[in-house]
Amino acid sequence: MNRPGWWTTLRAVQRRRAAAWIRRRQGADALPVTLQRRRIYILPTRAGLGFALLLLVMLVAGLNYANSIALFLTFVLAGLSLVSMHACHRNLLQVRINRIDTEPAFAGSQALVHLVLMEDAGLPRPDIRVDGDGTTGTVCDLPMHAEGRLELLLATPRRGLMPLGRVRITTTYPFGLFRAWTWLHPPHTITVYPAPAGARPMPIAPGARQGTHMHGPDADEWSGLRAWREGDSPRQVAWTVYARGLPLMVKEYSAAGSDDRLFDFAALDGAGTEQRLSQLARWILDAESAGARYALRLPGDRIQTGHGLAHRHRCLAALALYQPPARTTTPEPSHATG
Amino acid sequence: MQPGDDRRARLWLLGAFLGGIMLHLSQLPPWITLGALLCAAWCLAGIVGRVPLPGKRLRGALVAGLTIGVLAAFHTLNGLAAGTALLALMGAMKLLETRTRRDGYIVVAVALCLLLAACLGNQDLPHAPLYLVQAWLCVTALAATAHPQAAAHTRRLASLSARSLLLALPLAMAMFLLFPRLTGGFWSVGASRVSTGLSDSMSPGSISELGESSDPVFRVWFQGPPPPPQERYWRGPVLHEFDGYTWRRTPGLQYPAEQLDYTGAVYHYRVRLEPDTGPWWLALDTIRSTDAAGATITPDRQLVARHPVHDPVTYDAVSYTFTRSTDRLNHLTQLLDTALPPRRNPRSVRLAQQLRAAAPDAHAFVTRVLDLFRHGGFSYTLTPPLLDLNSVDDFLFNTRQGFCGHFASAFVTLMRAGGLPARVVTGYQGGEWNPLGGYLLVRRSDAHAWAEIWLQGQGWVRVDPTAVVAPERLRRGALDVLPDAGSASERLMYEITWLNRLHQGWDAANAWWSTRLVGYDFHAQSRLLQALGLSARSWQQLGALLTAALGLWLLAVTLSFNRLPRARPHRLARAYALLCARLGSAGFARRPDEGPVTYARSLATAPQAFGAAARQLLERYARLRFGADTPTEAELEQFERDVRGLRLARRSSRR
Repeated sequence: MNRPGWWTTLRAVQRRRAAAWIRRRQGADALPVTLQRRRIYILPTRAGLGFALLLLVMLVAGLNYANSIALFLTFVLAGLSLVSMHACHRNLLQVRINRIDTEPAFAGSQALVHLVLMEDAGLPRPDIRVDGDGTTGTVCDLPMHAEGRLELLLATPRRGLMPLGRVRITTTYPFGLFRAWTWLHPPHTITVYPAPAGARPMPIAPGARQGTHMHGPDADEWSGLRAWREGDSPRQVAWTVYARGLPLMVKEYSAAGSDDRLFDFAALDGAGTEQRLSQLARWILDAESAGARYALRLPGDRIQTGHGLAHRHRCLAALALYQPPARTTTPEPSHATG
Repeated sequence: MQPGDDRRARLWLLGAFLGGIMLHLSQLPPWITLGALLCAAWCLAGIVGRVPLPGKRLRGALVAGLTIGVLAAFHTLNGLAAGTALLALMGAMKLLETRTRRDGYIVVAVALCLLLAACLGNQDLPHAPLYLVQAWLCVTALAATAHPQAAAHTRRLASLSARSLLLALPLAMAMFLLFPRLTGGFWSVGASRVSTGLSDSMSPGSISELGESSDPVFRVWFQGPPPPPQERYWRGPVLHEFDGYTWRRTPGLQYPAEQLDYTGAVYHYRVRLEPDTGPWWLALDTIRSTDAAGATITPDRQLVARHPVHDPVTYDAVSYTFTRSTDRLNHLTQLLDTALPPRRNPRSVRLAQQLRAAAPDAHAFVTRVLDLFRHGGFSYTLTPPLLDLNSVDDFLFNTRQGFCGHFASAFVTLMRAGGLPARVVTGYQGGEWNPLGGYLLVRRSDAHAWAEIWLQGQGWVRVDPTAVVAPERLRRGALDVLPDAGSASERLMYEITWLNRLHQGWDAANAWWSTRLVGYDFHAQSRLLQALGLSARSWQQLGALLTAALGLWLLAVTLSFNRLPRARPHRLARAYALLCARLGSAGFARRPDEGPVTYARSLATAPQAFGAAARQLLERYARLRFGADTPTEAELEQFERDVRGLRLARRSSRR
């Protein structure tokens, strides 16, 4: 659809003002939230507007031909659309949002948000959807007295602690003529790890085995192939396998001995803060997938040697939340706001 | 969404479209019906058998070809018939490309438009159930399109749309009654239908053509008892001009009407004319006043519409069955109603002059002429022989067989030849009383012609020569008197009593439908508002009423809806509440801050057996309520039973 520029601008301004207004009148939401009348909004959909146009045509025809049956039909359908409006509004009324879970994500990808909804008012709620500003999520049917799950993918452009922002729960049930929706403003945040990048060799921790003459994952024993995952280094990809038309696979190495590693921010010289953080994230992923133990040192922060998912998250979260001291020359913006 | 759901939604769309086509089966040209059905079959094959649907180019070519076809068949794309045909074809084409939800909505809109066109074409009672089913089909298809995953539960979907329609019904009725109607249309609707009622001329045999059909012409509701059968003369066109063969009305005849004294019984009644009965609005002889806005009372006491009306008409009127006038007949009427065509019917003229000369006064003359009909060997038949141009001579002296028109024509000719002003009145005589509906039904077979003569000191006096020849005609109607009137099935209907009763019941239902629903127009609305005490017909008042109705309806719907979310708590919660209440009554009340597990722990001081059982129940509740699996019906039932069956041991106080 080709809209003129001023139109897009106008819509954007109007949307922003509406969002601010809604935020002001609803306040922040502490879960669980039960949807009450005050926060459910409803407007006709495009199909609903088309239906209204059809009704208008029918009304004019009925009046002009003074045809009672046609008029009656028109009025029945008009009544039906009002019934549909009520049913649509009721489909959200008293639905409870029990829980919202966010999963951490890397910058430049998408974070998964889980919503757990509860129907406890004794009415099945078909076709409940979730979306955010500019993204659409999944659909679910809530049976009577039961839970339902919704998922939403949110873009995570930058490293840091990203506020979840606002999430919309909508429905167009039963006839698609109206859309009822509510805005949630949960206090949740998403931890956005730095995007893993960089190709520097992984350093060896001091006090590790000295006999090895090679560095990095290549030093370990090759143990097999596994499917490619987000964050895997291109260096690990088994390109020969991929060239044969098979899916992207990654070469895995078992840790050859107890080569504990220390990933030190300060040791990465000659690069900007963000590049350094990306390299550190890369190393953490590589080390984790190679089964190595590692420690992380950031200016003013130190995480002891360890491994496993919790350790990985601790380290990556520390990278995500890292704020360079004021004297650092790189003026990277940070998003670690509440 | 499963692909199967989508297919179900498309099946509903197909059903709604086919329903729309079925409503027009009798009107659509066969090739259009066939084309639409072929497209539907193709669509069905695509849904069921995964047959590929036509591509964009083929569809474009088809649309262009079909449009040209409709143009060729109707010479226009305007108008109801051509519009319906085009709609049917376009809907059929859209069926072949229902890929997105929007396509589905368009098919629903087409099906609804087909329904609208059917309503505009035919408002009969027998069609009403079909319209209802079609509306339901469309709404269901709409729901299935909007939510294909809901289409998986066919029964739930079907009942959803049925319930929604039912909820909409009260509001629809209020809007139907109160929404402002128009007196005319926004634009004029060209009607090409032929009127089938009385015409403004009468030649021998023209009325017997009407007598061959028993279609209803109008129905009359009386305030109070109806007039006796012999006084049910429904006055139609009054014919003054005669050319020896055909009687004609004089259009635009204007003269001062005679001053009438209305005596005899007075009748207040409401007439409901069927559509296409021509400009002659029927009224009981003699009409005094009417509220019919679209018609005027002429000096010769006809009720004539100003413009031809093709829709059903309802009006109220007041009539008296006897009038007299002491006025002198005005000159124009005197001339008009004594004129006879020169050199026509010479034998009749001579006969009348002889009879007049022999009679001492006008009364005696009339009696002589009527005696002539009574004893002259005349017979009453629906299929009289054809007459030559001197129709009266031929009838009086040769054939002597005739229908009411023959007798009236001959009688008026004789009167005029004898110097008495006389005229032919056509209309209907009689009517069938429907005891179920409380109305009089007048059919086309009740068409009649009679005469009026002017007698000084009395005014116009009705004389019905047919009544002299066939007196039972007035009491029982033509269908009963003539063996050959009406079709065989109609006669059968008439003769078998219970069948006739059934027929009357059906006619009463039809009458109710066509007067109360179909006939609810601007005037009916005005009457209703007047009855409600709203004398001035203002938009503000209608708007206020409508708003009030809407508000009431919304309130009712809201209340009925909101009862649901506040439904009884879940049975598990109820069982838990019962358990807590029972333990409380035993002296172990739950403190508000205690959950089931802490509550169970606090029952440590309870008597041995009872405490253990109660603890076990509370822990089971916690498992059922907060466990990973949803409890099954059986588990819930068992839990409820165990809660009820818990044996209590009383204790004076707790802790």
